[in-house]
Amino acid sequence: MDKILRIDVGAKGGPKATAVPVGDYAGLGGRAMTSAIISKEVPPLCHPLGADNKLVIAPGLLSGTASAMSGRISVGCKSPLTGGIKEANSGGQASQVLARLGYSAIVLEGKPKSDDLYKVFVNKDGVRISADNSLRMLTNYDLVAKMKAEYGEKMCCISIGPAGEMKMGAATVAFTDMELRPTRHAGRGGVGAVMGAKNIKVIVLDDTGMAMRPPKDPEKFKDANKRFVDGLKKHPVTGQGLPAYGTNVLTNILNEVGGYPTYNFKQGRFDGAAAISGETLAETEKKRGANPTHGCHRGCVIQCSGTYNDKDGHFLTKQPEYETVWAHGGNCGISDMDKIAMMDFLDDNYGIDTIEMGATIAVAMEAGLAKFGDADAAISFIHEVGKGTDLGRILGNGAALTGKAFGVERVPVVKGQAMPAYDPRAVQGIGVTYATSPMGADHTAGYAVTANVLKVGGDVNALKPEGQVELSRNLQIATAAIDSTGMCLFIAFAVLDQPDTFQALLDLLNAFYGLNLTGDGVTDLGKMVLKMERDFNKAAGFTPQHDRLPSYFKTEKFAPHNVTFEVKDEDLDKVFNW
Amino acid sequence: MLAIPHLDFIVAKPLLSEFFLLLQQGVLIRCRVSCSVAAFLREELRAGEDTIAKIQSIFLDGKAVDDIETALIKDGSVLALSAAMPGLVGATLRRGGAYSSFRNAITYHEKAETCSVKEGYVRIKIFNLLMAEMGPCLLQRGVSLKAEDLLSFMAGLSQDFWKGCRRTEFDNKPVDLRILQNSLTAGDEILLSVSSAQAEA
Repeated sequence: MDKILRIDVGAKGGPKATAVPVGDYAGLGGRAMTSAIISKEVPPLCHPLGADNKLVIAPGLLSGTASAMSGRISVGCKSPLTGGIKEANSGGQASQVLARLGYSAIVLEGKPKSDDLYKVFVNKDGVRISADNSLRMLTNYDLVAKMKAEYGEKMCCISIGPAGEMKMGAATVAFTDMELRPTRHAGRGGVGAVMGAKNIKVIVLDDTGMAMRPPKDPEKFKDANKRFVDGLKKHPVTGQGLPAYGTNVLTNILNEVGGYPTYNFKQGRFDGAAAISGETLAETEKKRGANPTHGCHRGCVIQCSGTYNDKDGHFLTKQPEYETVWAHGGNCGISDMDKIAMMDFLDDNYGIDTIEMGATIAVAMEAGLAKFGDADAAISFIHEVGKGTDLGRILGNGAALTGKAFGVERVPVVKGQAMPAYDPRAVQGIGVTYATSPMGADHTAGYAVTANVLKVGGDVNALKPEGQVELSRNLQIATAAIDSTGMCLFIAFAVLDQPDTFQALLDLLNAFYGLNLTGDGVTDLGKMVLKMERDFNKAAGFTPQHDRLPSYFKTEKFAPHNVTFEVKDEDLDKVFNW
Repeated sequence: MLAIPHLDFIVAKPLLSEFFLLLQQGVLIRCRVSCSVAAFLREELRAGEDTIAKIQSIFLDGKAVDDIETALIKDGSVLALSAAMPGLVGATLRRGGAYSSFRNAITYHEKAETCSVKEGYVRIKIFNLLMAEMGPCLLQRGVSLKAEDLLSFMAGLSQDFWKGCRRTEFDNKPVDLRILQNSLTAGDEILLSVSSAQAEA
């Protein structure tokens, strides 16, 4: 991973690829790489769909190695949805393949000189870019089928669906999984729209003939990897809960505790929750011959993904994640799992963020465009987006725009991005992260290991009111660091509880690169990433007033516990004081 | 007090899990109350210390419990039990976890010192990995359901289930469930118990 592949889409005669040394970006991966390039090379005030914005696709520091869980890939740009810096990450095969091909990033830059749509093919021999307007408006599944016919089955794809081509704010970048299905997505912030603005429909990667990346100290690396895997397998969340049920196992407990946003964040409990819980989902999958325990990329030992078959036993979509089931389910008042799975498929196929789309449909329902609970109407809304009708253009640009277009006051967004599946009035600490993350409302922004392991800023007294702010800060720092390794964030559960597993992670990095990284080093990396991102946003015009939840969260009581968001603004402003 | 009609299933062991999904929606049990959550788990649900250690999140009347020794079970309480859950919110909802301050607004604080009622009904919900761990014992003990919930549940049972169902008894007499379905009325309370053929032997 000693080079960056830069593709100037505005070059004379069509897009031109150049492999350049990694230079100043050496030692960076994943989110650290994407945010470093965006903050250094993209003018913060540029238009997200214009010539000056760049789309950066970066594998993690350990991607392409034998390390378990190292297959996450980051996509960064100035976001068309938030107007700020964005990193969205995904599973799938591309991270491992791109790293083995020797690239620490692909950067799409410039402005196309024509309307032609391009495909990019990268293998050990180099890069081939060709115009292919037959791909125009193909859905992700159809596109991948076509690429498979053209390039065989030993490749993987990075692609956009129609939503990306139409430059919608909810458009994703899709990544194929182990079965060459476009089921994994860098979903948040409209990164697919930026790829669409560069007129690149698909990047096909083939690492045939390339070896796994060798560590500096193979014996230490092997030993650390074994301890790391053992730690993941022995932990009840990563070793049992996630493999058995996937992330949707959260539905029942969020609903029970009254923190499950229902009917566009009106209340915290949904009567139909049991019908769409992870437990019910896994049972249905088994009965239909699908698989509730499956990885999203090779090298995954947690196996929290799965497959979902229709009533006739045919593959319909991957096992929908908790956030997807919530967004299209309880938040829209829908309890029909088959309809929710269909929406998951349609989102993947058109290339739309499931969280943003579900939140948007709920806002549309609040506006009276359909009744809460009307699953067929919700499905038709997604088709409107995929077809690019007038209504679809509004919905495909997210909840904030839809709220404006239809005069809805209750729109659950921060920095223009829809909130995920946890109500910040019930779980106020996550509200701090929603409000202050540079990414906009994001449930993964403050997800990972914290003070007790890393001792970021000393010991935190979690019982003090300000503890929520301190914890959110530390979580955001740690998450930024893990996002930079390319490790799946779900390793955080084992790392959180088991210091020896955290040490195994450090040992993996040290053995691979010949470093002496400590917990402090990880903390410094996370702080550096957040500082770059905050500085970019500030220069793009963001102020402390953008680090706020919509005001109705402070005034509307949230049933069943009738709570409001009570963290003070002045405390939110302290989150990044370190 | 009138005796509640009881319906007993004796099924092949692998079929016990068919009943676990009932537990996520909640079932009533008649039991001793006015005790701590810890005592309730040990004495009423017969949970051993290993099992209690696996119960990482406990919700009493919809609020997250940190201290199972002080939170009290009362007549009409709703108690939900979960194994360790993923995500920041999963960690936040753990009892006594490092992130408990994140959900101060929905943390259970016991206000009562004691309760006078000694026996009553408690609604139990069991989620995820705990279903297989605690479900068989609870189902064998017997749980109360509304007739309509039971009928709705039975309507969803597969042909494979009925092939593996060894015996059904209603008030200790063998019963044809098709006839029973016609004789139950919405609102009736039924005591359901389920045991595996292996356990019975």
